[in-house]
Amino acid sequence: MPAIEVERQILPILGSPNQGARFYNPDLPSSEPFVPGHRTCAGCGPSIQYRMTSKAAGDNTILVGPTGCMYVANSSYLCTPYNVPWAHTQIGSAGSFTAGVAAAYEAMIRKGKWKGAFPNIICEAGDGSASDIGLASISGALYRNHDCLIICYDNEQYANTGIQASSRTPYGGMTTFSPPGPMVPEAKTLFPKDLARMMAAGHPHCYVATASVGYPIDLMNKVRKGLNHKGAAYLMIYTPCQKGFVYETPRSIDLGRLVVECGLYPIWEWNPEKREYDYSFRPQNMRPVSEYLKLQGRFGHLHAEHIAKLQTFANQQWKMMGIELPEALIQAADAKNLVNMATASAAEAVAQTL
Amino acid sequence: MATATEVKKRTVRINGCVASAQAAKYADVDVIAAYPIRPYTATMMALAQMVANGELDAEYIVADSEHSQLSISHGASSSGARVFTGSSGVGVQFAYELYSPISGSRMPVQMMIADRTLDPPGDFGSEHTDALSTRDMGWLMGWACDAQEAFDNHLMAYRIGEDPRVLLPQMVCQDGFFVSHITSDVELPDSGQVKEFLPPYKHPYPLDPRHPVSHGPQIMPEQGPPLQLERARAMEGAVAVIEEVHDEFAKIFGRRYDPWVEEYMTDDADVVFFLQGGHAVTARFAIKHMRDNGLKVGMVRLRTIRPYPTDRVNEVLSKFKVVGVIETNMGLGSVSSGGVLYGEVCAALYESQHKPLVLSFMAGMGGEAIVLDEFYWMAKKMTEAQKRGKIEKRTHWVGFEE
Repeated sequence: MPAIEVERQILPILGSPNQGARFYNPDLPSSEPFVPGHRTCAGCGPSIQYRMTSKAAGDNTILVGPTGCMYVANSSYLCTPYNVPWAHTQIGSAGSFTAGVAAAYEAMIRKGKWKGAFPNIICEAGDGSASDIGLASISGALYRNHDCLIICYDNEQYANTGIQASSRTPYGGMTTFSPPGPMVPEAKTLFPKDLARMMAAGHPHCYVATASVGYPIDLMNKVRKGLNHKGAAYLMIYTPCQKGFVYETPRSIDLGRLVVECGLYPIWEWNPEKREYDYSFRPQNMRPVSEYLKLQGRFGHLHAEHIAKLQTFANQQWKMMGIELPEALIQAADAKNLVNMATASAAEAVAQTL
Repeated sequence: MATATEVKKRTVRINGCVASAQAAKYADVDVIAAYPIRPYTATMMALAQMVANGELDAEYIVADSEHSQLSISHGASSSGARVFTGSSGVGVQFAYELYSPISGSRMPVQMMIADRTLDPPGDFGSEHTDALSTRDMGWLMGWACDAQEAFDNHLMAYRIGEDPRVLLPQMVCQDGFFVSHITSDVELPDSGQVKEFLPPYKHPYPLDPRHPVSHGPQIMPEQGPPLQLERARAMEGAVAVIEEVHDEFAKIFGRRYDPWVEEYMTDDADVVFFLQGGHAVTARFAIKHMRDNGLKVGMVRLRTIRPYPTDRVNEVLSKFKVVGVIETNMGLGSVSSGGVLYGEVCAALYESQHKPLVLSFMAGMGGEAIVLDEFYWMAKKMTEAQKRGKIEKRTHWVGFEE
């Protein structure tokens, strides 16, 4: 019996630049594989991302959900908000379970056991799964180039278990495993793992990109590019968590833009054909990191010297993207020009922003 | 390329590992998840070659760990593919997290195990502790004693595990080296016979975009009891299916196995060995010799340990005066301070009106061969107990005592 050729889906790229109409596009598909009624927090960044991602993917899709807040909050009491097949897997099994699904469809379609176009196979792993316990399994799936999209919805912590530090938690971020105290005034002392670059560098045949819920059209287009890429694709998406970051609920999308404008979350694509980074995404503004930090309770303990360290880190990120630094940002990396978060002037600044 | 080459029945001389690979090929598996660890590796080597030669159309995945092997298998089985994986020793342990999720989601993943002693230290020899440590995770489990039986068990396990009345994963075990690396004659069937015996895998609720379902949503404690009860019932329900499938197998392939125990020279026996796996081959030899010298000795070999045939073990072992359990596993600090089989045997005998004396023999530890002299020594301990009418010492470490 001859093998049956596997038919792949091609999803159209939404015609909108990443500037201007960031939130509205008439070409958006009407399908809603991720329906309302789940139990995530108000303003939950990961679930906003989940909706955009599944909307971009459409109905011929299978979702894989390793343990994390998007497992527990979305599927409590045996109810789930998925209009497409979804399976839970273990937190360390993100890449491997997904690889199993993809391999099954390759074999079943080829052997005539399942008929139809190869489904979109998407794994939604939190950063705990993606950067720590499931890292090897994801690397395995990317290396073997299964036709699937693995997403790290990055809320920079283990949120499901009550806010613990992951290797994506930023320097200075307060979590229950990295609390500030007299001996550790900055709270988390380590800088985050550069996860997405690690995936691009180690698996250069894969489509790899970063995105943020602050730029929905860009995010959805990257989902589609990842799905259209024949082989494995990887997205790391900034998804703020109001429970862990401690911010005003309506500001999730604002944070999603500020984190990019402050240089703390570089947005780029890795082009697997050209084997090079594409840094053409430009936020509208470039701001000092303090504008992002001051909106979040998790950074409320930071001293000027810690903010300066974070600014230095952000400036390095801009440089890595080949972007010229304005003088103001260079100045902002000097502690002399900064104030502690817990000062009256800082509190006033926060009050003004809100 | 899809393979549907018709093959005719033939006898080949292969080892247990290759017999397992042959069974996977006959079962036309769709996804294979491999990771190397001795001694089971040879099974995956054989399958890799079959895929490379175009004899088997399957996705052959070299996983990054045993944890990933089992997760890949879980994902593939959940999608509707027939899956084959395997491991040995500490590899079986590395994947431990997945055993309960796989049986809990009722995915009939098949795993071949060629036993290997757990670390420390790095010992290649066969000891059953690796697989037995997972015995309560909801997997069907049993041991073969030679390559032919291993081949047959794989086919039967797929049929049993994939039965909609069961839907449970299976560990098809064989001793490392004693079975996995010893060649013997294995009859490979006509592909038509296998087609008749083993229908294609069809899970009732796969991950299929046309019929969306959710697998494994989170529950609250009050939702736990019914879910656990269902899994327990699946295991109980497997009993009837296992018997049915063994009958069907005998009809189609002409080899009849008792699904639960093999009895060897037990008709008038006073004392019997109770064991699992490859050491049965030596035991038969030793028993024949002892019978020549007038000793009424026999053997009961457990073929299926999960589901455990409690009533059958009770009924069979109640016929004898003394039962000597040959453990080949570690149950440190357990009931007998020896292995775990002793407790399983004694619990089955608790309600017996004619309880035999039960001894536990720690033999073959670390994968050392149990030689004829050791069988004779164990038989001597059993007949001494029979004469005394009571146990003086519950657990004997064979080779360390007079």
